[in-house]
Amino acid sequence: MIELKNIEKYYANKGVKSYILRHVTTSIKQGEFVSIMGPSGAGKSTLLNILGMLEEPTYGEYHFMGEDVTAMKERQRIELYRNHIGFVFQAYHLIDEMTVAENIEAPLLYKKIPGAERKSRIADILDRFNMVAKKDLFPNQLSGGQQQLVGIARALVAQPSIILADEPTGNLQSAQAEQIMDLFKKLNQEENITILQVTHSEKNAQYGNRILTIEDGVIKEDVTVK
Amino acid sequence: MFKLNFKIALRNLWKNKGFSLINIGGLAIGLASCMILLIYVAYEWSYDKQSTNHDKTYIVYQNSVANGKTFSWAWTPNVMANEVQEKITGVKYASHSTYPSGKLITVGDKKISSKAIFADLNFVKIFNYKFIKGNPQQVLKDANTIILTKSFAEKLFGNEDPINKTIKLENQDILKVSAVIDDVPANNSIIFDCLMPWALFEKREAWIREGNWGNNMCLTVVQLKENAFFAKANAEMLGIYKRNQKGNTAEAFLHPLTKWHLYGDFENGKSVGGKIDQLRIFLLLAFCILLIACVNFMNLSTARSEGRAKEVGVRKAIGSSRKSLISQFLLESVLLTFISTVLAFILVEISLPYFNNLLNIKLEIDYSNINFWIGLLILMTFTGFISGSYPALYLSSFEPIKVLKGFRVKTDSSVSVRKVLVVGQFVFAACLIICTAIIYQQLNYVKNKPIGYNKSNLVQIAVQGKMADQVKLALLKSKLLKSGAVSDVTFFSQDITEHGNNTTDVSWQGKNAGESILFNNGGIGSDFIKTIGTELVAGREFLTNSANDTNSVMLNEAAVKMMRLENPVGAKIRFWGNERVNVGVIKDFVVESVYQKVAPMIFFPSSTWGAAAVIVRINPNQNISSSLETVDELVKEIEPNYPVNRKFVDESFEVKFQDEKLLGTLSNWFGGFAIFISCLGLLGLALFMAEQRKKEISIRKVLGASTGNILTLLNKDFIKLVAIANIIAFPVAYIIINQWLSTFEYRVSISFLPFALAIVISILIAILTVSIQSIKVAKANPIDALKYE
Repeated sequence: MIELKNIEKYYANKGVKSYILRHVTTSIKQGEFVSIMGPSGAGKSTLLNILGMLEEPTYGEYHFMGEDVTAMKERQRIELYRNHIGFVFQAYHLIDEMTVAENIEAPLLYKKIPGAERKSRIADILDRFNMVAKKDLFPNQLSGGQQQLVGIARALVAQPSIILADEPTGNLQSAQAEQIMDLFKKLNQEENITILQVTHSEKNAQYGNRILTIEDGVIKEDVTVK
Repeated sequence: MFKLNFKIALRNLWKNKGFSLINIGGLAIGLASCMILLIYVAYEWSYDKQSTNHDKTYIVYQNSVANGKTFSWAWTPNVMANEVQEKITGVKYASHSTYPSGKLITVGDKKISSKAIFADLNFVKIFNYKFIKGNPQQVLKDANTIILTKSFAEKLFGNEDPINKTIKLENQDILKVSAVIDDVPANNSIIFDCLMPWALFEKREAWIREGNWGNNMCLTVVQLKENAFFAKANAEMLGIYKRNQKGNTAEAFLHPLTKWHLYGDFENGKSVGGKIDQLRIFLLLAFCILLIACVNFMNLSTARSEGRAKEVGVRKAIGSSRKSLISQFLLESVLLTFISTVLAFILVEISLPYFNNLLNIKLEIDYSNINFWIGLLILMTFTGFISGSYPALYLSSFEPIKVLKGFRVKTDSSVSVRKVLVVGQFVFAACLIICTAIIYQQLNYVKNKPIGYNKSNLVQIAVQGKMADQVKLALLKSKLLKSGAVSDVTFFSQDITEHGNNTTDVSWQGKNAGESILFNNGGIGSDFIKTIGTELVAGREFLTNSANDTNSVMLNEAAVKMMRLENPVGAKIRFWGNERVNVGVIKDFVVESVYQKVAPMIFFPSSTWGAAAVIVRINPNQNISSSLETVDELVKEIEPNYPVNRKFVDESFEVKFQDEKLLGTLSNWFGGFAIFISCLGLLGLALFMAEQRKKEISIRKVLGASTGNILTLLNKDFIKLVAIANIIAFPVAYIIINQWLSTFEYRVSISFLPFALAIVISILIAILTVSIQSIKVAKANPIDALKYE
């Protein structure tokens, strides 16, 4: 599903290149649950952002579902991205001015999905996440765990083939974190959604079936979890 | 999508109530100011453009040379119209008519002084008045008929049908109402209550029956068949005086009706603008105020970018394209503009009566006019897009990863753009402060300049009906004096605050051949000097028994100077065909423009040609209102058939300042608004800067900076901006105001005071505005800001 070949990312500052990623080559298959680990500043988030097309690599090839992302125009990239990728952030990043239901609806609007279907999909996902009663609340009226649930619901509602999660439990207490991780596992196993998460926690990494360890911008380890 | 964005926009407005209020308020004030100015400009612009063929209609002007200057007037001989109709190419109609003048109309015991015009049928055809009753083809034929306007007919007859009813004109002629026409709109150069036949005018005034090319006494209006004939017709008009009267040097030309009001100034016989210049200033002012309001909007919206950045990031991360973000932000600004427009309407409707009162006109919003709505739509879209464009482009350019990670939005470029915008706003505001100050100085200067007589407590009563009789006037004078209500009484052959008659037909010993000097002339009664409070420079006044003085004249100082008379008293002067003797010299006093030097003037005893006004000085030792009542009663005793037409001289004198006062008041008001809106912009920038520098300030505070230090730090930049704006504004304002002043013969010299005023006011306002925000930041607990870093 994802093919990375020799991805590099650096910032040139006064002629000195500071590398974030070096020679990253890997591939991720449909249905995998991959955790990216490593110390702070290793380049985990940058890698995730490149995979999520929010950043461009300085060099290298990136194929998403057989298509060359680096060669695409912005319009095509947004199109591909809308249809296949769901993002989950550490700080939830819900839009404060929108209610729960509206936050979930937003990506569907950008995908230009007709009103009736939007309604049924939102109702469906609210139901699944047991949040029907909260659909008209604003994000600041919810707890952190609930906000992150909305964040995941928003990522799922567009029916992506892959979810990219940047430390999804980083701001949560352990009980809530467990709940979120269970949800990811369930999505991965039951709906065959590819999941890619960046995490600091060994425990969370164990939910997945593969761990990529990055240090100083280079992939150090690539192990499969049993 | 639209619906959701719309909802979000509303929620955003509600959430940041203070911000929205500043934003909407600023824009609403800007829009309202702009709308009022535009309504005024539209009103003046549509002057004389209501009749169907207004574009083919022309006013006959004449150029005549006197004092080495060319004077252009729309006064023509009574025989002009016929000559034009018969001999000039392409003329469809040519009409002669009088200018509107006050005439007493009586119906039963209703006595109403009305504005009346004597005109011929062509006049009605040219202006194409809308007839409500009566046959347009048959009016003005019979001498004893009259056409009334709708409102005047209602005043006279109430709800009854006025057709074929009779009215009495000046207690002399019985006239039959032949037609009723719609009221003439207020923005017309010719406004009247009733139209009477030219034949009646001839019947009443014998002297106009004979044609005389030397006597310019009426208005001639011409309508061409097609405008293509204009060049030829105008060329033929040039020599029309010469062709008909030998030695007449006047030249005639056609001035378009549509330019009559706005292009009323002539120099050397050529049109050089007029009221249009003032209109251009107002149009520019309207545009600038709107621009300032838009700039303000941009400043405030981009200042809030920090708050919106996250939303932009998230939206981009869930699949929004930049285009849809731009349209979202534009939608928001259009929504804000819409709310502001509604508010602006309320403001306009509230303030219009005030402005109408101030400008003495009748402005109103014509909601049924399609052009108005189109104009409004254009104005709104323009405002929405101008003010929304920069914020939309700026906000939508954020990179999602950076804003979501909490990176500070790169602000260098946008801050400098905003600085330029704020400087621009303050340049405009400072210019307005300077100009307004100088306009006020000039107005005060001219108002306080001695006019040569004492106008306080001086009252003028128009001579009407039986009062014109010499004996009755003398009786009135003695009665007035005896009552004690007034201390002095005299007569004058014209309104003392208005242009009177003038002539070049004056000669004296020592006059150079070919020298032509234009003299004002006026008839004065006895005690003239004492009553109006001027001075006798030499010689004596006319005797009370003026029968012995019929061949005496008096001069003013300006006349003596122009005539180069060494011994003015006793000088022989040939005036109006007779040799007369100058008996005295009166100090110069102002009858025409206060801005120009006093023109030469010849006085003759008012008994010779009759007086038009009784001038009295109210006894200062008595209660003024009871004195006025006494005066009214005494006048009524002499002439009971007319309502007393009395006015204070200083009030009528004020009319001379109307244009300048209007300019002063408008620039004062709108200058104030511009400054206010600019301050809102500054506040926006201050909010933004404080937000940006929160961390820096906190660190400084941790390191030991006091609130005072921080305030200086924050305010310094803004003072610099305002100072720069002032420096740019000074030369601009100097050029503008110098040009304005140059049109006055008497003018103030430009001092540095207004400039100092501008810089002090603008800096003071800036400091006050910025401090509202910076004090809050300077006093904040540094921990709050540093915690999140």
